[in-house]
Amino acid sequence: MVRRAKYNKKPMGALGGATASGTGEAVTGRESLLSADQVYKHFAGTQALAGVSVDCLGGEVHALIGENGAGKSTLIKIMGGVHRADRGTIRVAGDPRAFAGPADALAAGIVTIPQEMRIVPALSVAENVLLGHIPMRRRAGVLPDVDRIALRARAAEILHDLNFDIDVDRAAGTLTYAERQLVMIGRALSRRARVLILDEPTAALEAREVARLFDVIGRLKARGVALVFISHRLDEVVELADRCTVLRDGQVVDRCLRGEFDAERLIRSMTGRDLEELRRVHDARFGAAVLEVPSLGHAQSAPAESVLRVREREVVGLAGLLGSGTTQLLRRLFGADAPALRFTLRGAPAAPRSPAEAIALGFGLVPGERAHGLVMALSVRDNVALTLLDRNKRAWRLDGAMIDGLVAELMDALDIRPRDPAKPVGTLSGGNQQKVIFAKWLARQVGVLLLDEPTHGIDIGAKTLIHRLMHDFAAKGGAILFSSSETLEVVSISDSVLAMKKGEVVARMDRTGDYNEKRLREALGG
Amino acid sequence: MSAAGTRVAGRQTGLQMLSGQIPLLALVVLIAVSALVSDRFLSLQNISNVLIQTSIMAVVVIGMTLVIIGGGFDLSVGSVVALSGCIAAYIVRDVDTTLGIVVGTLVGTAVGVVNGLIVTKLRVNPFIATLGTMVLVRGVVLLVTDGRPIYDLPAGFIAIGGGNLFGIHYLIWILAALFAVFHWILHRTPYGVRVFATGGNREAAFLSGIEVDRVTISTYVWCGTLAGIAGVLLAARLESGNPTTGEFYELTAIAAVVLGGASLYGGEGKLYKSMVGVLIMVVLGNSLNIMGVPSYWQRVAIGVVIVAAAAADRFRRRG
Repeated sequence: MVRRAKYNKKPMGALGGATASGTGEAVTGRESLLSADQVYKHFAGTQALAGVSVDCLGGEVHALIGENGAGKSTLIKIMGGVHRADRGTIRVAGDPRAFAGPADALAAGIVTIPQEMRIVPALSVAENVLLGHIPMRRRAGVLPDVDRIALRARAAEILHDLNFDIDVDRAAGTLTYAERQLVMIGRALSRRARVLILDEPTAALEAREVARLFDVIGRLKARGVALVFISHRLDEVVELADRCTVLRDGQVVDRCLRGEFDAERLIRSMTGRDLEELRRVHDARFGAAVLEVPSLGHAQSAPAESVLRVREREVVGLAGLLGSGTTQLLRRLFGADAPALRFTLRGAPAAPRSPAEAIALGFGLVPGERAHGLVMALSVRDNVALTLLDRNKRAWRLDGAMIDGLVAELMDALDIRPRDPAKPVGTLSGGNQQKVIFAKWLARQVGVLLLDEPTHGIDIGAKTLIHRLMHDFAAKGGAILFSSSETLEVVSISDSVLAMKKGEVVARMDRTGDYNEKRLREALGG
Repeated sequence: MSAAGTRVAGRQTGLQMLSGQIPLLALVVLIAVSALVSDRFLSLQNISNVLIQTSIMAVVVIGMTLVIIGGGFDLSVGSVVALSGCIAAYIVRDVDTTLGIVVGTLVGTAVGVVNGLIVTKLRVNPFIATLGTMVLVRGVVLLVTDGRPIYDLPAGFIAIGGGNLFGIHYLIWILAALFAVFHWILHRTPYGVRVFATGGNREAAFLSGIEVDRVTISTYVWCGTLAGIAGVLLAARLESGNPTTGEFYELTAIAAVVLGGASLYGGEGKLYKSMVGVLIMVVLGNSLNIMGVPSYWQRVAIGVVIVAAAAADRFRRRG
């Protein structure tokens, strides 16, 4: 309890200004390039930031971590000029600045590399790197024209400094995600960025690409650039960061320097709880096999042992990075993607070719993006009703009594707020929207619930709630198959785990065997 | 905090409800102003005129509302009005009245099926798909009729466009019946929920087990069928099948739906509001007429109203 009190929401904002000197900053030449001082930001209904202070020094990697909804994105958006702080000061190299928009921040040398790469696919790599200040010359002394030679040379030089040698004439649209990211970093450098903010840069990268990115980050560091690094992967943070700031509920709850932190301390700070508490008390009394998938390919002859099996009361996690095929597997099981997957459901062969068929078999899918699970303009009631439409006795009239009764019951059971079934789902908070998606499938009493990244992008409170809902569903005899790219989450809440890479299952582990996050990471990496 | 949140949300809903009725308020104001400016406006004769003028366009607007709520778009309705009218006129004149009405309507249904298949199976953007069928069907009309109107229709058929029951025009009865049926279909049946869901979020609807392609096709079929009915009614009203009728119907119908506040992105709208939209357009034209405003200026005025309505809608959604 004593330790918890130490980390629980203790506002440390007041210490903000002191960190640079207070923690014994002996390294000379590291000046503060960008700082936020006592920043507050309020969005409709939520205090996103409540007195946050951070300081980014040149030549240093500053990791910003926290659960979803802790305020990281809001903070970097304020530092990048996208949002304005309600209160507090942003300083660039010590001078207070008020950014009117992202252009001001860019002009001040602060560049954010977002998760979705803003490249122009039809333009060449060189043009993308130098976009906005493409070198020009005058043909015959009059006609302005692109100076192609200078364009290529300058772009190649910038990328070469990043140890990224690529044909700069290639269309940027042909690049991989990781290559686009490097082009974006090159663009930032071409604008003489002094502060580079990387928003979850490794989320979609393979291990090899991560290594290359880290090399680039090291080079930038050596040049005196201040790097702000946001990541959910704590081992990366431990490996890379010189300084770490942990946010929770819009406040700074922990600050530490290299050598002072490890993954466990960061988790404790992020969640306010110990790792063990996060683990689900699991119920080993599994029932009969519900879902058995012999093979993920199209092979007609089934291998001796099935690739995937989910039993009653079992929670099976699919661990895999973005693009590892977990989403596609779930969608194929649900009949939403071709080719249809052959499997047995309670012993009977099945291969649904549409979600309608899968639903009739007793499947429900909670898609990875909330926007794919709900019709935002429709009411809570109508969204829940979507899965019940075929249960209507008469085609010419909605069975209002049946639907209203179920909806009222589920809104109570899941504590959906506000308790107004007529409210458009789009006006609900993210956590409540997620509950409505659950309600859709609970209303239909499905037997197998497929969840694709069910806790992606929601805050810690909602995350715990989703875990509880999954647990409850399994406890009542349901079978759960879910995917997550957060290894810690997968290990914490599932009874067995399949690691996926490039569409194949590469490792399998369950609680009876050697089951831990480290092993799972090893299976996914490399 | 949640209580406060609820209260704020409640207030927003109240405001939204008010702003959602702007088209109706605009119509009331428009009628009031017209009545003040001209005492002829509220005469029984004029009201009847306005309603009759509205009725045929309103039938097209019902179909357009369905398609737009379902996330689609149909530019071919004007051409369908002409084709259905002309085919109906031929059959009514040469074969049989009832058969003519049925076949004329089914021509519209057929075009709707084609539109729906192009949009769903060939995955062509609805705007382009129906732009194509609009031009194509107009070409077919001109081919079939050789560009000449079809006259000499039997009195029984013409009566549909001119007769009345209990002092109220047949056309208005027909509109009222169609409105009642489609209002029920759209707002009271499981099918209606499917249409709204498909238009509002196709992926979410698909993942909820709705056969979205089937729903989309059905909206085009309804729209084509209703345009077919409108074509037959117009032929009866004009006492002829005319290959050049129905031009700009598609644009007027879309404008009426937008004026009524439906989202052009689909998934939002109310049938009665689209009716208000079409009434605004007809009443505006009518009162400008009565006031003696030249017809060229009337077009300018209607254009301004459409742009203003669309802008106001954007503003409302953002705010």
